[in-house]
Amino acid sequence: MRKKKCVAMLLAGGQGSRLGILTKKVAKPAVPFGGKFRIIDFPLSNCTNSGIDVVGVLTQYRPLELNAYIGSGSPWDLDLSNGGVFVLPPYQTGKTGEWYKGTANAIYQNIAFIEQWDPDYVLVLSGDHIYKMDYNAMLRAHIEKGADLTIAVREVPWEDASRFGLLHTDENNRIDEFEEKPKHPKSNKASMGVYIFTWDKMRKYMEQDEADPKSENDFGKNIIPTMLAENQKLYTYTFEGYWKDVGTIESLWESNMDLLTLPMPIDLADKRWRIYARNPGMPPHYIDQGVKLVDSLITEGCEVRGVIDHSVLFAGVRVETGAEVTQAVIMPGAIIERGAVVRRAIVAENAHICAGAIVGEETGNIAVVGPGAVVGPGEHVAAGVQIDADEQRAAASAK
Amino acid sequence: MKDVMGLIVTGENDIHLGELTSQRAVAAMPIAGRYRVIDFQLSSMVHTGIKNVGIITQKNYSSLMDHVGSGREWDLHGKQGMVILPPFLTRENMGVYSGMLDALRSNVNFLRRSKQEYVVLTNSHTIYNIDFSDALRFHVNAGADVTVLYCRNEHTGTTQGENDTFYTVDENGKVLTMEIGSSNPKGDCASLKVYITRRELLHQLVDQGAASGLHDFERDILQKNINEGNLKVYGFEYTGIAWQIDSIQSYFNFNMALLQNDFRNQLFPSERPVYTKVRDDMPARYVAGCECTNSLVANGCTIEGTVINSILFRGVRIAKGAVVKNSIIMQDAHIQEGAEIDHCILDKQSVIRRNGRLIAPAAYPIVIAKNVVI
Repeated sequence: MRKKKCVAMLLAGGQGSRLGILTKKVAKPAVPFGGKFRIIDFPLSNCTNSGIDVVGVLTQYRPLELNAYIGSGSPWDLDLSNGGVFVLPPYQTGKTGEWYKGTANAIYQNIAFIEQWDPDYVLVLSGDHIYKMDYNAMLRAHIEKGADLTIAVREVPWEDASRFGLLHTDENNRIDEFEEKPKHPKSNKASMGVYIFTWDKMRKYMEQDEADPKSENDFGKNIIPTMLAENQKLYTYTFEGYWKDVGTIESLWESNMDLLTLPMPIDLADKRWRIYARNPGMPPHYIDQGVKLVDSLITEGCEVRGVIDHSVLFAGVRVETGAEVTQAVIMPGAIIERGAVVRRAIVAENAHICAGAIVGEETGNIAVVGPGAVVGPGEHVAAGVQIDADEQRAAASAK
Repeated sequence: MKDVMGLIVTGENDIHLGELTSQRAVAAMPIAGRYRVIDFQLSSMVHTGIKNVGIITQKNYSSLMDHVGSGREWDLHGKQGMVILPPFLTRENMGVYSGMLDALRSNVNFLRRSKQEYVVLTNSHTIYNIDFSDALRFHVNAGADVTVLYCRNEHTGTTQGENDTFYTVDENGKVLTMEIGSSNPKGDCASLKVYITRRELLHQLVDQGAASGLHDFERDILQKNINEGNLKVYGFEYTGIAWQIDSIQSYFNFNMALLQNDFRNQLFPSERPVYTKVRDDMPARYVAGCECTNSLVANGCTIEGTVINSILFRGVRIAKGAVVKNSIIMQDAHIQEGAEIDHCILDKQSVIRRNGRLIAPAAYPIVIAKNVVI
């Protein structure tokens, strides 16, 4: 394999338990977003648009759907003879072999993969954010500074700062202090979880960290503080633009709703920085007579006969006559029958809302109907409730 | 794997869709909101399990080549995969085919080199969504030399007559008569212009035909052999939707027919998706104040105005106050504020400026060429 200047390692192994029923069966990066994407489309498209063509995807939790989705990598032009996207699950080595323990350990276990490409730099990404970013610009900044580690940051409002991992820098953006969710923040530069390491330094510190049995093998908790303490050259790179953590039901819903305002806070119609996705191959969507449509996104394969107001419809959704969908995210293949009302809710893949049912409320938390779950005729799903298809089946067989 | 190959002949000289085909083959015509005509023939072959597909092209085939690319979207990019067969010049071959037989003769090497026992031969202007497996089984069981596909339903969408072929068949499916371009045909079996035969027999027929200076596959080979009884020609009835795109009116009517649920669902069954080149547009956006009724809309559209009984391809913009009725609008076209159109076919990237009006009679849709600004 020929040498690469920079390879990307995408941490996709976490469960994302705060997404509740949506990540019960799939890893977080495989969760649908924005009418036709999945979360992982954003870092993968950013890589290919930035000219980074080796991407290792570290999977561990429920990888089947994610693996099938990534496939050969062709939707992102990452099916290459020299490079491409590689799914990297944990594996056995001789008598040992273990699960990925922490973020740093996951990459440590794949040193052999990285060394194949003999890279100068390694880009570390996570699969939980919606953003468009030129990693190559960040890499240039890293090289110019002669940095050992560059951490992408965004400046957050001071009142929110204490929710983030914060980096305090000098006037040259050199990091002198790192604080994880402090009560009294000294900085408002929040880490985005996007790192560029100079590979020989990264390797050295990962090996050193592995040798410490007390370490949690985590970048934020162990590697970065150690590098700081040893006076390595750590810099921030400020990213401006839309960036949203979609790690919770509320933030996932909000981020979908963000796409409905004009101009879009994140331009998904930008032809110079397309976000690629695997295509389900459906015909254009059909809008029936007398349908009210307000500020919504509708994808190919839908059949729309009811009101769609401030909502995002994924491929192949069917909304029958007299149904009302308001401020909702309806994922692929879901069916909303006649007269059903869905508001402030996420209806997951292939869920079925029967006639006259009501899902969600005008205020309160977002209601979620899980993948394949059924809301019976006339039933009511209150705000913040999550409907689980497995529990439904168990309850049905108990009867 | 099935022991069958596919051969699609595009660039028929006798099909004219005016301005719409001045720069492209009928096979490359945008259709049904996000497809090209050839997607239907290609996808049908893929759903049959055919891996080796040759596409014979001529004249302006660059937009066709751009569309099919490596065949990846049809899963035809493998070791066998899809081959584009462009015209070439030799002493015997002027690169302009005067009939399907000519086109086949020029590409006879492809037939010779292929390894499969059977071949499915199609034109590129008939729309259908077929798994040819049943027809292949019929062909083998009947011991036929050639099996022609036909349909009896009224959904054949032909308007011209001069290209239409009709058969009569007996109760076993044996073809008794064949009429081409008759204004009052005796037969009620309309040809889909899909033929199944053995590869070596086709090779032989093409060789013989060329040696005798013949050009037309239907007249000079099929009809002649049916009349003389030299070949066992059988007909296989297809009961789904088939539509010939052979005039502007039939193109228009086909697109409009897609607004009917039954028609659309028959043509796009979930078990046999129609594959096409992917464009990576975002979902369509409907802005408050817009109105959309009985229409098909592809990804990437932005709708602020009114859309009634229309087909919108990818990336079309309908501005505030604009009214679009009974129209087909191809990709990236832009209808500006206050403009009004009715019964129009707008080719790619065309623009109807502010307050422009284009109202055509239902029987004669207006065609606006690619990149034209009005």
